[in-house]
Amino acid sequence: MQTIKLKLKEEITSGNAKIPIEADSLTPDKIFGKSEAEIKAVKVWWGNREENTGDLFDMSVEGEAASVEEVKIVMEGDLSRVKHIGDGMKAGEIEANGDVDMHCGAMMQGGRVTVKGNADCWAGREMHGGELIIEGDAGDNLCAMYRGEMTGMTGGKVTVGGNAGECVGQYMAGGEILIKGNTNILTGLNMKGGKITIEGDAIMPGADMTGGEITVKGKVLDMIPSFKSDGTESIEGVEYKKYLGDLAMTEKKAKGVLYVR
Amino acid sequence: MAEGELLIRNGVVYDPINGVNGEKKDISIRDGKVVEEVMNPKVIDAEGRVVMPGGVDIHSHIAGAKVNVGRLFRPEDGRKGREAKTKVCRAQSGYSVPNTFATGYRYAKMGYTFVMEAAMPPLAARHTHEEMVDIPILDNAAMPLIDNNWMTMEYVKSGDTDLLAAYIAWMIKATKGYGVKVVNPGGTEAWAWGKNCDINDAVPYFDVTPAEIIKGLAEATEKFEMPHSIHVHGNMLGHPGNFETTLATYDLVKGIKPYRDRPAMHATHTQFHSYGGTRWGDFESKAGAIADYVNKNEHLSIDIGSIILGDTTTMTADGPMEYSLYQITGRKWTNHDVELETGSGITPFLYSGKSPVNTVQWAIGQELALLIKDPWKLALTTDHPNAGPFIGYPIIISMLMSKKRREESAEDMHSVIYDRAELPSIDREYDLNEIAIITRGMAAKTLGLHEHGKGHLGVGADGDVAIYDISPEERDAGKIQKAFLNTKYTIKGGEVVVKDGEVVATPAGRTIFVTPECDDKLTEEMMVKLKDKFDHYYSVTFNNYPVQDAYLPNPYEIKAPWRS
Repeated sequence: MQTIKLKLKEEITSGNAKIPIEADSLTPDKIFGKSEAEIKAVKVWWGNREENTGDLFDMSVEGEAASVEEVKIVMEGDLSRVKHIGDGMKAGEIEANGDVDMHCGAMMQGGRVTVKGNADCWAGREMHGGELIIEGDAGDNLCAMYRGEMTGMTGGKVTVGGNAGECVGQYMAGGEILIKGNTNILTGLNMKGGKITIEGDAIMPGADMTGGEITVKGKVLDMIPSFKSDGTESIEGVEYKKYLGDLAMTEKKAKGVLYVR
Repeated sequence: MAEGELLIRNGVVYDPINGVNGEKKDISIRDGKVVEEVMNPKVIDAEGRVVMPGGVDIHSHIAGAKVNVGRLFRPEDGRKGREAKTKVCRAQSGYSVPNTFATGYRYAKMGYTFVMEAAMPPLAARHTHEEMVDIPILDNAAMPLIDNNWMTMEYVKSGDTDLLAAYIAWMIKATKGYGVKVVNPGGTEAWAWGKNCDINDAVPYFDVTPAEIIKGLAEATEKFEMPHSIHVHGNMLGHPGNFETTLATYDLVKGIKPYRDRPAMHATHTQFHSYGGTRWGDFESKAGAIADYVNKNEHLSIDIGSIILGDTTTMTADGPMEYSLYQITGRKWTNHDVELETGSGITPFLYSGKSPVNTVQWAIGQELALLIKDPWKLALTTDHPNAGPFIGYPIIISMLMSKKRREESAEDMHSVIYDRAELPSIDREYDLNEIAIITRGMAAKTLGLHEHGKGHLGVGADGDVAIYDISPEERDAGKIQKAFLNTKYTIKGGEVVVKDGEVVATPAGRTIFVTPECDDKLTEEMMVKLKDKFDHYYSVTFNNYPVQDAYLPNPYEIKAPWRS
């Protein structure tokens, strides 16, 4: 097991502008096999400049890794302007100790990212596989598609300990999302497949959905009227009303399932 | 234009306009122009590589209102092809709707130095010119849409060809345009009533037919010594069975005597107009019938509009066609009405080799190129980005040059290719001279630009040269495709702009425009009617309408006198 600690230097984010960093080059699969000096030389975008990792982060390495699965990156310091943590990651583990900026775990294919704080918008965007755990709240467009695309998350598992923002899982086609708190409007917008579970409340879930499954364990506010009732079903001993929709997408395409208490 | 001297040695030159077919020949350039010889030149050793004049694209949508709307409403396309700025290049983005910089760099990398923006809505002429100025390296020009225009239709109705000529002269001057573009004549106007027109249907309210509009505009164009004929996107584009409309369109200009030795009509993206069948279920290729007509007649030229498989953004002034396409795909769609001039629509489209219809379309573009015997009658295009982005030209070149490549590709397509298309049975393979004709020579001649230095390497021509990294003997389709995508050198006006597939300099290109010269008396008479249109219908005033000279920082004027 190898643990690579990357602590963002205080002076990097102490300025008024708080210039963002894009950390997609710092994933276990891209770093595996590199020496300490080589990791320090990995290029990272800081605003419009490419900098060496070693110039932005204080680094320490403990242990050895025989495979990429044994690599764990622990990120510390003020990460609130660090974007793209775990973006495109294939294997290994990243732990971010604090709030992170946008696109955390976007396009992820494997491995695990744990955020011990809140994640800003677009976390898990177009995720294909792996696991993303956000212990705090998630921003808007969690596991959605990028603007204009027609496919969001296709695989993997995402857990949010707190609340999530708007359009969770937009155009989602596969994978699983669990939100322990509430979600803002339009969860599962244009959803085509996969599964979203909301333990709290949701507003207008399932609009324009043509496939997949949404379960709301709390209250549904502003239920979309274009869903038709399809009896009841028991999930984990609790009775849920089952709805099919969204009929606004024509009856033929309305293959989405919405469970509401 | 670069000052100084340049000598390209040991190249194998294909310069079809001057009858040079694969000759070992040196090319001398002084102060941006080809000359007999040079004294103290910088020397480029081509080392036996293929050398051609700079490419000339006769039909592409690279600048203006609809291209920009395409970029705006397809952020997912802008995501592709991103490249950070370098010391030489600005930031690039986009695939089917690349930004202006990427457009210039990518064309230059393929060895092209002139591109015609094929559809400029007159009201959006300023926007079009602003973008053309923003496209590095390339020389360009744009053709205003004049066919669905109320003035045009009223003059066609009343039969005043001279006044129509006065109007198109004013319009080409006002928009700093190059020639007359026709797009679904009458049909785009009918779309304002939610309808479309076939060639002999009456246009609602105006009571003229598309056939009359095309004929009227062809006659009016030939009143001047215009370098280019009318440039026609006919009616019923993209509809099964439209080949009959296409042939009827070709027949319209048969009796018209063009100014000088060029056709009276250029029929564009013919692939979209060569469809048989009655519906999508029995859709089939009629490229054979179209090619047969083109082989037997001399009064028209075409460009193929060949399909590039994959995702693209369709955009045209043919509003009703875009709506039909949107109804098939259910993807996003946008539509625009350009006051009393024209309209437009945009929708994304995926050409898939698994689709029987797309497979037949894919075959048709190549069939046209292979079945039309005289390469001087056709140009290579993809109607960028409608049938696919221009960056796919090298794929088409490699297909035309290799039957083996076509056979391999056909195996990956839907099996209808073997019974609803002719392509698998065609043996012809293009040689490099024929490729040079359809990618530069023919386009330059048809546009009349060969007299202004484009598309050839004779003495006095522009010093625009493409050196491709293949020997003339190369037969490997993959290597041919690679070579035509990234030149060894592209030279523009005597300056090396691309070296080893990298852009090394980005000089500004020129905007070429035509000034038709019309009799003052006719113009005065036409102006009464035109000013009335501005007073009653236009959202801009007459005086604010014409594009000012400031929009063309590097202008090149071609005068078109009245034919006596």
